[in-house]
Amino acid sequence: MPSTPLMPDDRRSLTQRLTALQYLVAVAFAALAIGFWIFQVAQHEKFREMAEENHLRKLPLPAPRGVLLDREGRVLVDNQNSRNIALVREQARNLDQTLHILAQATNTDEAQLRETVERRRRDPPYRPIVLIENATEAQYIATMARQLELPGILAQEVPSRKYPGSELAAHLFGYVGEVREDQLARADYEGVEPGAIIGQAGIEFAYNKFLMGTDGSNTVVVNSVGREIGKPLPGALVPAREGRRIQLTIDADVQKATEDGFEASGFNGAAVVLDPRNGEVLSFTSRPAYDPNAFAAGIDRATWAELNTDDLRPLQNRALQGRYSPGSTFKMAVGLAGLEEGVITPDFHVFCGGGQTFYGRFFKCWQKGGHGSIDLRHAIEQSCDVFFYTVGNMLGVDRINKWATLFGLGVKSGIDLPNELQGLVPSTAWKAQFTKEKKWYAGETISVAIGQGQVSVTPISLAVYTATLANGGTRITPHLVKAMDDGAELKPVPPPPPQSKVDVSREKLQAIRDGMWLVVNGDRGTARRARIEGKDVCGKTGTAQVISNQGRTAARTTKNLRDHGWFTFFAPRDNPEIAGVVFLEHGIHSANAASVAKHILETYFAKKDGKPLPPAPTRDDMHLDLRDPFARGSGVVGDQ
Amino acid sequence: MFERRLYFHIDWLLLGAVLLLAAIGLSMIYSTTYVTLPEGGGHAGPRFWVQLYAVGLGMLALVILLALDYRFLAEHSLVLYVGLVLLLAYVLLFGLRAGGSTRWISLGFFNLQPSEFGRLALALILAMYFGENRRGARNYGDLVIAALFFIVPFLLIAKQPDLGTAVTLVPVCFGIAYLAGLRLRFIAIVAIAAVLLAPVAWKVALKDYQKSRINTFLDPEKDPRGAGYQQIQARITVGSGGIKGKGFMKGTQGQYKFLPVADNDFIFSVLAEEQGFIGVLVALGLYLFVILRSLEAARLAKDRIGAYLVGGIISGFAFQVIYNVTMSAGLAPVKGLTLPLMSYGGSSMIATLAAFGLILNVRMRRFTN
Repeated sequence: MPSTPLMPDDRRSLTQRLTALQYLVAVAFAALAIGFWIFQVAQHEKFREMAEENHLRKLPLPAPRGVLLDREGRVLVDNQNSRNIALVREQARNLDQTLHILAQATNTDEAQLRETVERRRRDPPYRPIVLIENATEAQYIATMARQLELPGILAQEVPSRKYPGSELAAHLFGYVGEVREDQLARADYEGVEPGAIIGQAGIEFAYNKFLMGTDGSNTVVVNSVGREIGKPLPGALVPAREGRRIQLTIDADVQKATEDGFEASGFNGAAVVLDPRNGEVLSFTSRPAYDPNAFAAGIDRATWAELNTDDLRPLQNRALQGRYSPGSTFKMAVGLAGLEEGVITPDFHVFCGGGQTFYGRFFKCWQKGGHGSIDLRHAIEQSCDVFFYTVGNMLGVDRINKWATLFGLGVKSGIDLPNELQGLVPSTAWKAQFTKEKKWYAGETISVAIGQGQVSVTPISLAVYTATLANGGTRITPHLVKAMDDGAELKPVPPPPPQSKVDVSREKLQAIRDGMWLVVNGDRGTARRARIEGKDVCGKTGTAQVISNQGRTAARTTKNLRDHGWFTFFAPRDNPEIAGVVFLEHGIHSANAASVAKHILETYFAKKDGKPLPPAPTRDDMHLDLRDPFARGSGVVGDQ
Repeated sequence: MFERRLYFHIDWLLLGAVLLLAAIGLSMIYSTTYVTLPEGGGHAGPRFWVQLYAVGLGMLALVILLALDYRFLAEHSLVLYVGLVLLLAYVLLFGLRAGGSTRWISLGFFNLQPSEFGRLALALILAMYFGENRRGARNYGDLVIAALFFIVPFLLIAKQPDLGTAVTLVPVCFGIAYLAGLRLRFIAIVAIAAVLLAPVAWKVALKDYQKSRINTFLDPEKDPRGAGYQQIQARITVGSGGIKGKGFMKGTQGQYKFLPVADNDFIFSVLAEEQGFIGVLVALGLYLFVILRSLEAARLAKDRIGAYLVGGIISGFAFQVIYNVTMSAGLAPVKGLTLPLMSYGGSSMIATLAAFGLILNVRMRRFTN
């Protein structure tokens, strides 16, 4: 074979060069060994931690919120398991593409997903951002099917709020939603993580601290696309602690009766029913309502916009925030002031000829022919305007203000719900301070005396006022919590102290109560519909004009100009144990409100007596009076 | 051709070290490609079996290249070289396309990657050319011819594109030229020229992804989710292994796929993670032994052809090992350069074992005529 053997010269040179190569390689390998020593020995700890951060993922386990129970332990608000689809940005390779694919797969608005991510951009990248709350089965399956294309997208099982009654007592329960950025900055939300679900209205809001519970966590091993793998690590699971159960003072049956009554009447409005002895709220409603379940599922923009722009304002809690003229329901305050200030006695009589002139102006009584000579009891029974014009005129506005305030009008009730507004009972001081005119004219007192003019009240304050009349002067604080879970059992929560207490002479108060008894039980009472055999229901009707008589004539009658109807009540007359108010927005006649109240009272007493509860009333059962009192030729005049 | 006495001159130690490295590679491939079944248990992944198969074929190639006299092969190196060039051309025209490059010829049961055999063919023809030339490589004209031998397969492979494999031809050239007596001054000139031409190459020759790889290497934190990801993950993988390692199949970086191509380009990182610094030292020691022992074979070679052949082959091998191991620790730009004997890859395994067949061949025949 042809080959060129190595000559000695060649060999020496080759050997030298091979030796040089050997040294070169040895040096390179030594350098490599040093490099690995630096990483694996010297800096091991740093890299070990980085590797752990890579593959260990702490997943939050959201705590279920505390269950809300009624006063008998029946579940009012509960939790259900739902699936959220969330994003862990740290694991997303291409965020734009991921969101695009996800939006496509789940048929959601890509822009909204983007906005959610943008809003949470300052969160640590490992914390899941919930993109789709309460995902449907179809959305869940579509997402899981494309998981390989969606690194960083995961499905979480989370408890979400369930309101079995849907719109029932919606304003009372409120709703939950993701914590807002401005809330996170506040001290009372310390420890709340971005993205957490908190109460945003009603009891959910007021008792959020107790209802929220403590989130747990689960540390899992994940691979580079964020998929969970491997067996659970010991000690990795820190279970979530459920929020505290709260037992409300609400009675589910009375609450349902209230809603049923409204439903049958077809009117909107508000009602508050409470125990006049201690202020426990038995039922509470504001209508129209919204469905808090829609919020629990992460309300979509369209629904939110709809709720906010609806002319009927379903988000407004009318019971706490609606301010209306009390009409004739105010007359007890005037009567009581007259008695207590010594201006009149229970036997004081006034002649009503259908109207009277004060300070050069003629003030009509609603009863065209007049009531003739009438005393306090019958003036309340028949709601005689002239009687109260006269007493009011004798008292002056400031003494009316004093007693109305002592009984809870024109002030906040102090109920444990957020955003309560305050009504107004005018006084000379108020006028001097808050109006341009400054000076109070005696003529203005005449309107005030029958609950018109500047007087305005919220339904809750009128309920407190009625309860205070019922219990003899203790302005109880309406409240909603009866007991709270202390971790083991429901522990009673002491009722809040009364707002104020005034000693009223029994005999004088009895005259007022007798009058209210006559309203329901008297021959000429204005709310005879609310009568329940043997229960001595007491009450008072009231009509709040939405527009002056002159204005109405000019505007012609339209639906949203119809009068509001009030009915405040308590029962039984002696030792009252239930009191409340029904407010029908544009309810035309206060007697219609009495029909709603009657169903509430019937339910309450049937339950108390162990009788079967009355069925939900039909529209016919309500015997609604829908005649327009101002329609030409109707001949009907609204009671006052 | 194969005389019985030659059997006694086989370098069993070198062969043993080579097979040991292949076995370590196999166990790492087993670890990273193990299939865990959701219902529990699992089995070796298909890649493990492919690699085992390739080791078998490689041993066959090794035995064949050991049995034939290397001088016979060198004599026919032009045929082999032309054959390889034709194969590379065929690949470009009709090859199997995968992952954005055309590198393979489908043989049905096996996808052959001809470029892996480029180093062998080039080493043979260059050893032949310089070995037959009495003057050695002192004439610039010779170097031009040698450069032509180099440039044809280089361009064909680079065009696939597979710059990583193409670049491994460079140390083969330099290794042979250096042993053939090329003056260091000349090597220095080439090096300076390369440095001067680098900016031009940057603008003209490199593709965007290649530029970004180099940029990323210089500052991996700049783009931790993109191109810098592999480099950062490689360092974490290696560093988290510690002295003793996390244990066989207990690595988190490789097992949970934080480290890409763990069974291929980054197999050494997985070794470092699971077997720790101790495992790294053992593997590096074996590689160093294989390289030094091969260079010893070159020293013992009977003729220039044998010495140059071994020198060329082992230069390419050493370059690949050093570069890949450096890259495994995140200390070099990420390049599709496998670790010979350990990385997953059938053609690479067969070609590498065949190459060691030639090295053993040269040493074994040092006394023959």
